[in-house]
Amino acid sequence: MALFNRWTNTVSRLSVVVLFGTPVVLISLLMLWVRTPYGTKQYREVLQPIQFDHRHHVSDEGIECRYCHTTVDKSPSAGIPSTTVCMSCHAQIWSKSPYLQMVREAYFTDRPIQWRRVHNLPDYVYFNHSIHVNKGVGCVTCHGRVDEMPAVNQVAPLTMGWCVECHRHPEPNLRPLEYITSMTWKPNGDPETVGAELAKKYNVHTRTSCTTCHR
Amino acid sequence: MSDSRFPLPVLGDEKSSASVEPEVVSAPQSEATTVPDHGYHKSYWRSLEQKLNPEKYKSLNAREFPPNYFDVPKGVDRREFIGLLGASMALAGLTACSEKPVEPILAYTKNPEHMVVGDPLHYATAWSLRGVGTGLLVTAREGRPVKVEGNPEHPVNKGSTGAYDQALTISLYDPKRGQHVRRTASATKPGDIVTASWRTLREQLVTQGAEWAKDGGEGLRFLMEPSSSPSGGDLREKVLKRFPKAKFYAHAQLNHDNAIQGAELAFGTALHPSYALEDADVVVALDADLLEPLPENLGATRGWGERRSELSKLNRVYAIESRLSITGASADQRLRLKPSEIEGFARALLAELGGSVAGLNGLSAQPGRTLSDTEQKWVKAIARDLAGKPSRSLVAVGETQPPVVHAIAYAINSALGNVGTTLQLHPVLTHEKYSSVGTWYPELKEDVDAGKVKALVITAWNPVYASPFDLDVAGLIKKVPLSIYLGSHDDETAKVATWYLPAQHTLETWGDTRAVDGTASIIQPLIRPLFDGQSEHDLLSAFLDAPEQTAYDRLRAFWSGKVGLGFDAKWETWLSTGLIDGQTVPAQRPALNARGLSQALATAPAQGSGVELAFVPDYRVFDGRFANVTWLQEMPDPITKLTWDNAAMMSPGMAKKLGVDRESVIAISVNGQTLEAPVLPVPGYADDFIALPVGYGRELFPSGLPLGGVLGNPVNGGTGFNAYALQTSAALGFVSGAQVKAAGKTYDLALTQDHWTMEGREVSFSQTLAEFKKEPAVEESRGPLPTLLAPVVYEGYQWAMGVDTNRCTGCSACVVACVAENNIPVVGKHQIHRFNREMHWMRIDRYFAGDENEPEVINQPMMCQHCEAAPCEYVCPVNATTTSDEGLNEMVYNRCIGTRYCSNNCPYKVRRFNYLHWNGEKPALEQMAMNPDVTVRARGVMEKCTYCVQRIERTRIKARTEGRPIKEGEIVTACQQACPTHAISFGTLSDQNSETLAWHKDERRYDVLHELNTRPRTAYLMRVTNPNPELA
Repeated sequence: MALFNRWTNTVSRLSVVVLFGTPVVLISLLMLWVRTPYGTKQYREVLQPIQFDHRHHVSDEGIECRYCHTTVDKSPSAGIPSTTVCMSCHAQIWSKSPYLQMVREAYFTDRPIQWRRVHNLPDYVYFNHSIHVNKGVGCVTCHGRVDEMPAVNQVAPLTMGWCVECHRHPEPNLRPLEYITSMTWKPNGDPETVGAELAKKYNVHTRTSCTTCHR
Repeated sequence: MSDSRFPLPVLGDEKSSASVEPEVVSAPQSEATTVPDHGYHKSYWRSLEQKLNPEKYKSLNAREFPPNYFDVPKGVDRREFIGLLGASMALAGLTACSEKPVEPILAYTKNPEHMVVGDPLHYATAWSLRGVGTGLLVTAREGRPVKVEGNPEHPVNKGSTGAYDQALTISLYDPKRGQHVRRTASATKPGDIVTASWRTLREQLVTQGAEWAKDGGEGLRFLMEPSSSPSGGDLREKVLKRFPKAKFYAHAQLNHDNAIQGAELAFGTALHPSYALEDADVVVALDADLLEPLPENLGATRGWGERRSELSKLNRVYAIESRLSITGASADQRLRLKPSEIEGFARALLAELGGSVAGLNGLSAQPGRTLSDTEQKWVKAIARDLAGKPSRSLVAVGETQPPVVHAIAYAINSALGNVGTTLQLHPVLTHEKYSSVGTWYPELKEDVDAGKVKALVITAWNPVYASPFDLDVAGLIKKVPLSIYLGSHDDETAKVATWYLPAQHTLETWGDTRAVDGTASIIQPLIRPLFDGQSEHDLLSAFLDAPEQTAYDRLRAFWSGKVGLGFDAKWETWLSTGLIDGQTVPAQRPALNARGLSQALATAPAQGSGVELAFVPDYRVFDGRFANVTWLQEMPDPITKLTWDNAAMMSPGMAKKLGVDRESVIAISVNGQTLEAPVLPVPGYADDFIALPVGYGRELFPSGLPLGGVLGNPVNGGTGFNAYALQTSAALGFVSGAQVKAAGKTYDLALTQDHWTMEGREVSFSQTLAEFKKEPAVEESRGPLPTLLAPVVYEGYQWAMGVDTNRCTGCSACVVACVAENNIPVVGKHQIHRFNREMHWMRIDRYFAGDENEPEVINQPMMCQHCEAAPCEYVCPVNATTTSDEGLNEMVYNRCIGTRYCSNNCPYKVRRFNYLHWNGEKPALEQMAMNPDVTVRARGVMEKCTYCVQRIERTRIKARTEGRPIKEGEIVTACQQACPTHAISFGTLSDQNSETLAWHKDERRYDVLHELNTRPRTAYLMRVTNPNPELA
């Protein structure tokens, strides 16, 4: 008489598969999850305390990125404009509008506006805007069509893999420095060739060593 | 060539397989070896235990970590721990499910001028210690200072700083700083404390000022911190003009009074010496710590460093001293004498030189005692050396020696023509000539006892604590109806004064100061006063009959008055360069007053007997004012490697005689007082002599409590024993006739000297010049070794560092600079003592060689060597440490999972692991001290020196946006920038003109642990001394 019935063989094989397969599947699912927009927080419109609409300021009024984000080519941080920059126009335009009440309050009481950060890299990542901007990476490459966003949302996954991909092959993402802030520039021909020329012109040598970003 | 000198077993070599253990005794190698004989058979030892008791030492230190190193913190038992581990592993995955809270961005409402968020701003300022200024260049991020550097334009310190300067930022952000103005309801009932305000006090002073002016301010006394501030001097004049009968005194427990009085004896005028060591071929230091990185010595130290940089430039330094100071450790030859014996030696030297040097033969100087044979030999040899180098020699005397010894040295220097060349004599620039307690206490006591003193203003640092025990400063202050103390902390003096005003930190103050040669600098603040602090000048101006001004306006008004037209442009230049032109005072060349000196020499010197006790400045807390600066408390003492405490330091022979060992407590009785202190035997100390560093043992600060605490628990022990309790005003420097006996207890001392041991391997080398020329000891420690690995071709920059052990004095300014730059946590005494867990990325290993009483010393800064074939890299299971394309060994904190295999494999033991959450739960104030460019590491990750990669990246980005290569000297690491002797060089090996490449090719160059073929990027230059062959 057999000690075990035949169907126990299936149970045994299946349980091995389940035992080893479960952690593999679980971990793979987790790893996939963080790469989806749920995990990367892409496409979530972040509501700000003041409804600053980039469509109006950039598309309609034609204000260039660097009018407000002044230090993007000088400093690691692009710079959120100080309230003075807002007031430089809004002391005269819409100076009594209730939508701008908070701006005026912030300016006159000297208390900062609490914006909510959209593009948030972990603290152990030291990203430097100035080098990217000075070497031909346009604003729209990473931040998307901000001029069409009612509320700014993160369009890029901002995962390390996404950054490293460009660092390994930057040419398709380069543009002439005059068009850094252009939202609609398209390369005149094959992005690879145009990019390769620009890389040579701007002396682009992307680094992939760890301390480039992690210090 | 046999490998028997290498402790690692080598295959196929039968001889070496028998001796796998490292040799630690100083016996010559066995004859069987075929190691080339370069006359070099030294073995180096780091502590007396290693030297005297090698078996016990080996057994205790055979393991890398002390027993209990991996213990789980108390409170969790094994079962609980495993249970928690299981549960937390199961729950670990869930952390990804919670959303990270939204991070707010708080932009400025009005952007401050020039400020770019993310980029630093640098401000030229200065600070003064006891009235001597140093030029500083402070880095500010987002409106707060984070790093102090020396001002490269300053003619005295030329960009270098000492450890005290580097710790200025953490002392600014010290939560224990005085924060509120306090007024005791009445001076006799200190229990009644009323929180008050500066405004109230100021109004009171203004009202009372009118009354005091009626009798010429007869009841006013000012006890000030020594200051050379020009605007402060002007304020002082104005106060004296309004109150002609008021009196100003200065108080600093560690001062230059002896040197100044010596100048009065020798030259008839009060002068203050500074030394131009770059011009000195022969230097004789009589108990003089010339290389201590105080503001007045930074220039001299740099000059000395220059003379040790090349073999052709080597000078000769003799140190005749009682304790092993850093000058003595770096000297070519040393003689041990008790402090009282130094005068006899100096007199004998004077007499000996009188024979050959004109100008000295009028002076007879009886030594007053019989010199030993060694001393006589030394006197003759030194005299010969000195006389052979007129105007290129120097005799310097330490501050603890009595004025007559200083006068003798001045006489010798004067006769040899050194005045104006190696010895610069400056007029005393502090407002009061003298600042020792004997110059003000008797007079003030008389006035107070007579009831004449109505108001006493104290800005000197903590006179109640920092004064000899026989003078009752506390009682004196209590008798004065109105006493105002302006101090950095709510300390012992604040407890007895009527009013306590928190002092503004130097980084918050507008002011000015002068360096030792008169160079004046504006002190500009880097941040608005964090607390209710006032500056000394604010307080003084309350005594004027003038409308109130801000410190800024007052300062500008003073200087504008001196300059006149064109002031505004000049002011801007002064602020940007950190220097005020035209303030240098030329050094003087007075004539020797031989007659006056002869009279002084006629009195026979006092003879000390029995055990002598010296009160020496501490390299970490100075006179006690830096006691709450955790970075300095944690910095190991340069000679003893002691942290968080002081100890009674004595020679090993004396300890044996007393029957005590390290950490035994002894009772020292002198002047009718007894103090118990632990023993620390130090090689190279004179016998029958104890050095007790001052500045510890304060009851006010709970022992060893670092800022923020460690795991919320106060650290037990630490912050030492109060030497002032034994000091009398009659003998501030040293006293003889001390009784010492064992007290039968022990006290733990947290010493780092045996931590991260190199286990007896030859890692540092020192030879005399003659030996080196015959055959350098480092021949086998450099050059390529055969390897199986394919060579890596580096294109572009190749970052490398050079460390010159011939120039390193061990002052540890670099250690503190590294702590400041890289957010290195403070761990406290307990962690250092029991677990070897000090987190310093850079340590200075101090090796002794030879006899324990006449040791040779080598200081070797050790940080990550950035090996090209790094042993740490290939053992990391998660690839958290890699080599960059430029040769930098990178550490990626976020990838590290804490296996610690890398530190296990590192032969240099330069990796530090965050065993506990050192950086957690910091008060917001202390967080401001952090450098935003460097990650603040959490528990569980490994860290190590990164060659200041944040500075490399910043400079690279700047250069690349400007479209140019990185210039030589553009990247300066924190340690390199601080070093007063320029012992560290950093640069790229790809640039043929780089200094670092030159150092890598130097004849003295070697690699530490070269035989392991790690191919480190840090090259060391060995120590070459220049002793006098007659005295060998």
